[in-house]
Amino acid sequence: MSGFLQATVYGLLQGGLLALVAVGFSLVWGVMNVVNLAHGGFVILGAYVGWEMHEWFGLDPFLGMFVSAAVLFVFGYVLQRFLINLVINGPIFITLLLTFGLDLMIVQGMNLVFSADYRSIKTSYASNSLAFGSVRVPLGRLLAFALAVAITVLLVAVVNRTRTGLSILATGMDRGAARLMGIRARHVYALTFGIAAGLAGMAGAMIGTVGTFNPSAAASFTLMSFVVAVLGGLGNMYGALVGGLVIGLVQAWGGQYLPGTWVNALAFLVLIVVLIFRPTGLVGRAFYAARQEV
Amino acid sequence: MSAVPVLETRGLGRRFGGLQAVSDVSFSVPAGQVLGVIGPNGAGKSTFINLVTGHTKPSEGRVLIDGKDLTGARPWVIAQAGVARTFQIVKPFRGMSVRENVAVGILYGSNGTNVMSKALKAAEEVLEEVGMAGLGDRPPGELSVADARRLEFAKALALRPRLLLLDEVMAGLRHTEIEPSLELIRKLKARGITIIVVEHVMKAILAVSDQVLVLHQGKVLTSGDPRDVLSDPRVIEAYLGHRYVKRREGES
Amino acid sequence: MSTLTKMPQQGLISTLRGDRAKRLGPWALGLVALLAALGLQGQLYSGQERTVATIFMFVALAQAWNLIGGFAGYASFGQVVFFGVGGYFTAVAMSHWHFSFWMSLLLSGFVAALFAVIIGIPLLRLKGHYFAIATLGVAEGMREVVTNLTDLTGGGAGITVPTVGNNATTAYLGNDGFYLLFLGLAVLSVIVGGLVARNKFGYALRAINQDEDAAAALGINTTRMKVLTFALSGFITGLVGASYAFQQVTIFPERLFDVDITVLMIIMVVIGGSGTVLGPLLGAVALQFLSEFLRQNFTNLHTFILGAIIIVAVVLLPQGAVNYMREARRTKEFSLLANVRKYRL
Repeated sequence: MSGFLQATVYGLLQGGLLALVAVGFSLVWGVMNVVNLAHGGFVILGAYVGWEMHEWFGLDPFLGMFVSAAVLFVFGYVLQRFLINLVINGPIFITLLLTFGLDLMIVQGMNLVFSADYRSIKTSYASNSLAFGSVRVPLGRLLAFALAVAITVLLVAVVNRTRTGLSILATGMDRGAARLMGIRARHVYALTFGIAAGLAGMAGAMIGTVGTFNPSAAASFTLMSFVVAVLGGLGNMYGALVGGLVIGLVQAWGGQYLPGTWVNALAFLVLIVVLIFRPTGLVGRAFYAARQEV
Repeated sequence: MSAVPVLETRGLGRRFGGLQAVSDVSFSVPAGQVLGVIGPNGAGKSTFINLVTGHTKPSEGRVLIDGKDLTGARPWVIAQAGVARTFQIVKPFRGMSVRENVAVGILYGSNGTNVMSKALKAAEEVLEEVGMAGLGDRPPGELSVADARRLEFAKALALRPRLLLLDEVMAGLRHTEIEPSLELIRKLKARGITIIVVEHVMKAILAVSDQVLVLHQGKVLTSGDPRDVLSDPRVIEAYLGHRYVKRREGES
Repeated sequence: MSTLTKMPQQGLISTLRGDRAKRLGPWALGLVALLAALGLQGQLYSGQERTVATIFMFVALAQAWNLIGGFAGYASFGQVVFFGVGGYFTAVAMSHWHFSFWMSLLLSGFVAALFAVIIGIPLLRLKGHYFAIATLGVAEGMREVVTNLTDLTGGGAGITVPTVGNNATTAYLGNDGFYLLFLGLAVLSVIVGGLVARNKFGYALRAINQDEDAAAALGINTTRMKVLTFALSGFITGLVGASYAFQQVTIFPERLFDVDITVLMIIMVVIGGSGTVLGPLLGAVALQFLSEFLRQNFTNLHTFILGAIIIVAVVLLPQGAVNYMREARRTKEFSLLANVRKYRL
């Protein structure tokens, strides 16, 4: 029973992080119909920025993550504005391949600069844990979870309440109409992609603090983003939160009770089942319905 | 005239979420007739066509083609049963030439062929018939609005249908462009093809229909002889209203 | 019905005759290429022979992907699953059940095709990215399944096909043998592609690709066509995977279900020209050649440069080299910038 509780707590904490990893991915997909295969690369890049900040300036990773977010925001904005916008109207495998090419460059670039060694951002407090009865909660994970959830909620509020946010949503729903309303789609797309990259970078810095990372971990974060975004219904940002928590729990329970590494297959099983039976995601209605997508 | 109607619907309806797009539509079209279907925007005309041709599954009611129950059958089953349709928003295969577009219909129609060269030759005949001779090599993207609509027509005809559903094939055309389409409908009727014309262009309906069905808010408002229906005060009020009057004034 | 005038009829017949020359031309060229490939074999060192065999392997893989992704327009991002299923079936059949390689090879094709049918029926209802991701999920999931079926597959430690001693059911083919085997698979895949491109079936797939509703309205059983195409594509990919497994002797889930293999197939098809027969052929040869060149001369930067090349190619030639040339010949518009203008915001 305590094993179950411990797994549940761990799953929820991990789920919050996954939500922050995936929320930007989901936003980009929903607004621009771009599946960004370099998303996991952004996450790991953010982790390295956080690591560098900590190494050079002794910056606490929970502050460093804002630097990660800023750096990745600029990176994402420029990439979208000057590169991805060039093929945004092409068939889907064009954007998929473009972002895959980006992913190759980012991951290999990190391999060259930082080597393939596993790293972790060390702090004096993150591995301390609070004990509630028999359940232990590592402080770093708790902090990361709280921040991740808060930022996800904040993002939803910003997108739904502010002028910029609404122009993002409007462009996602009907680009032609948004343009007629005076919204500059090029800028809005770049902004959206920048926000997504920034959030991914932030999540990366947190991941670097609560665990270890190396460049080749990028692929698994891209895949997790897929799973979470589909579960939540793409473009649906609260959905990403729900999707993240569900996947976090599924993996934690699976890890607790399944033999071998069967747990790794579990996320994909959930993904496929959801796609077949509820392609709009678990939560409400998504931007696009899977079977009507052009 | 055979006793079994080519198309019969019984209590046909479709609900999208909370919206009842079509409800309780029952009527039949005898072989060889032209049925005009009219109604204001959102009256459920296109949904009705989608229900008959299997592109949308009915929530209730039945669709009988030649007396055979084909309710909820997939579109290709309906197509191979001899029912062809056009789409209101034209749907050409953009990567193929005009001739190849039509040839696809000939290859897969109810009495299709497997020989490509035969299909291409037959496609040329169909193009000739709809007045598109000489355009066979063009990509569909280069066609005028009128020719793009004719291509829809040609693709439907390529199936050699017994029942043809035309979803606004004359929308957006000039008067001089409409006349050949009407001529074509008459010619097809003379060949024994049963036709359902969904149209906004009132003159067209009057000119070719044996029967008219008026849809309003998804329901059948009335049906019968075109002139009787069009002079029915309920129809004028519900649908034609000042819009029709205006258009008449504009025409004269 | 026949209201044809004389002139267009003659014009039509002559175009049909011209078509015949056009139809046979590529086959003749293909035959020349095949003879050249056979002649080339004697001129190569064993290392080069392996490299060229790998090019043939990717020609077959790209042609197979082109059937479902290029003609039918369903971007299968989990295509490698058929490669893995075919490879593991052969490895298991040869080592556990003592099947001969040739028997295993053939069965691998059918097992992969069956797998394609099973996953295709639910997944081919999905469109666009959803299909791409669902297939990716299947491939990643299968890798984990194979990793965990330790008794059968050896799990992460891999499985070794017996090639020597009493357990060897078929003698190892060696460099010469695999060169011919992969050449054979490449030829098979090109022939299948060529037949599909020019046949009724190919027109149905293109129609589905360009407008699925319109295709269904013309009497095309879209579900059946898509599932059949997926199965055919899976069949060829399964054969290639089986041959690869035998060539490698020891195989691991990480490699046999490597998503990079899927992406390579897609890039080859897209760069060459999707929905054509020549495109995947050229794309596979060019990219594999380039990749090998980079690997040998810029070992560290290899992947990095490959990524950059993919980006440039996709931006400048989004429709692929073959489609670009065809279009440019027709419209006399050769500027690559016009290409960029087409898809940019």
